[in-house]
Amino acid sequence: MSGYTDGTAIAGIGATTFSKDSGRSELHLAVEAITGAMSDAGLPVDSIDGLVTFDMDNNDQTQVCSALGLGDITFFSTSPFGGGGACMIVQQAAMAVHAGLADTIVCYRAFNERSGNRFGQYVAPPAHPSAAEVRWSWHGAHGLITPAGLVAMSARRYMHEYGATSEDFGRIAVIERANAATNPAAWFYQQPITLEEHQASRWIAEPLRLLDCCQESDGGVALVVTSLERARDLQHKPVMVRAAAQGMSSGQQVMSSFYRSAISGLPEMGLVGRQLWEQSGLAPSDIQALILYDHFTPFVLSQLEALGFCSEGEAKELVRSGALALDGKWPLNPHGGLLGEAYIHGVNGILEAVRQIRGNAVNQVADIDHVLVTAGTGVPTSGLILGVA
Amino acid sequence: MPLSGSGSIYSYIVHHHPPIPGFTLPYVVVLVDLVEGIRMIGNLVDADIDLIADGKGDWLIGREVSSALVSDEGGDMVLANWRLMDSES
Repeated sequence: MSGYTDGTAIAGIGATTFSKDSGRSELHLAVEAITGAMSDAGLPVDSIDGLVTFDMDNNDQTQVCSALGLGDITFFSTSPFGGGGACMIVQQAAMAVHAGLADTIVCYRAFNERSGNRFGQYVAPPAHPSAAEVRWSWHGAHGLITPAGLVAMSARRYMHEYGATSEDFGRIAVIERANAATNPAAWFYQQPITLEEHQASRWIAEPLRLLDCCQESDGGVALVVTSLERARDLQHKPVMVRAAAQGMSSGQQVMSSFYRSAISGLPEMGLVGRQLWEQSGLAPSDIQALILYDHFTPFVLSQLEALGFCSEGEAKELVRSGALALDGKWPLNPHGGLLGEAYIHGVNGILEAVRQIRGNAVNQVADIDHVLVTAGTGVPTSGLILGVA
Repeated sequence: MPLSGSGSIYSYIVHHHPPIPGFTLPYVVVLVDLVEGIRMIGNLVDADIDLIADGKGDWLIGREVSSALVSDEGGDMVLANWRLMDSES
């Protein structure tokens, strides 16, 4: 058991609508989500004394503080590596609460990532690259420069080694779109897809088809981390942070770890998983729902393997068995995930884990004690186990 | 150390979308294991895209390639690309 995690809890969550064109500023989205989360926790906004986000968010802590009219802030941090930081924000907040650095820490992510600066387009290399950025020249000059293309390179090798097919990737999309179809907050509410529709969707970067790729979204989400002791006195059932970990492995690059002896797995996620099991004393059989980062379908399969839900190369059998459906052994992304609900860089998945533990999710999983949540894949990453207190 | 310019394809993608400045769609990007043990990324040049695109290209994995150095118009930049040793599929 890890003292810093078991002593902390998520006490409030807030979210804006998810859309393709929010019509308001990213700062407005952040403020809306944060005030929503504080209201949900039953705490006054001016009691916030910590603000945590991760990079690629344009709302830095000074502007959020100013817009909310906050006073003294004793803890602020911004974790690195894009979507890989999604669960790091809860880890950073839990550590700070445990250390006594702050009492009421808000973690947030808000952006107009469809109507503003789109994430799915090619990445413009820096105008004045440093030596550390020379890596761009290794792949960017050859047109390997979109998130989909970079993931596709690993996915193709994964298919070759393990016999996984485009249909196996498609099954992930079908499950998640089915879940989104019954979630009114999801962009793809009431829009399920069939495997045939997945197979007929156009190529983006082979082996990835359009329906293997998550959407680009506008929206904001926030959550409140405080001590478990304090959370017990607030209006919702506390959601305990049972484990929280970061992982970066040998040969790590950002979206381009192609120079390792093998590229079909996610060793950094394996590292995160080992820490989560060790901190919590839990095993895969203790988990009742999975919130796995799904910006592209192939990495959902490799995460199942890295985290120990099946052996290496066997995720395709797990997917085909129906275990990941809402009524299966390990329901995957009951809210619809980044593919179906919205791409709020993984943090909307943490909110879903909170709803599942509280027992008030729209696609509620029965008899739930623990949910495992992961952050971005293909980058230095992070993960959480949330549970009943 | 001088490199032989010989290797084999470890993985590849076919990029269809979005359009990228300087590239004609679709195009093939290969990850090549050089015989010297170094791995490099490059484009596959002079390849028959009809034999590769639309899910038909798994045969590329393991195929031998040799380096194809391509200069830009001004001649001040050289890209290391790759060509199949045996173009028959």
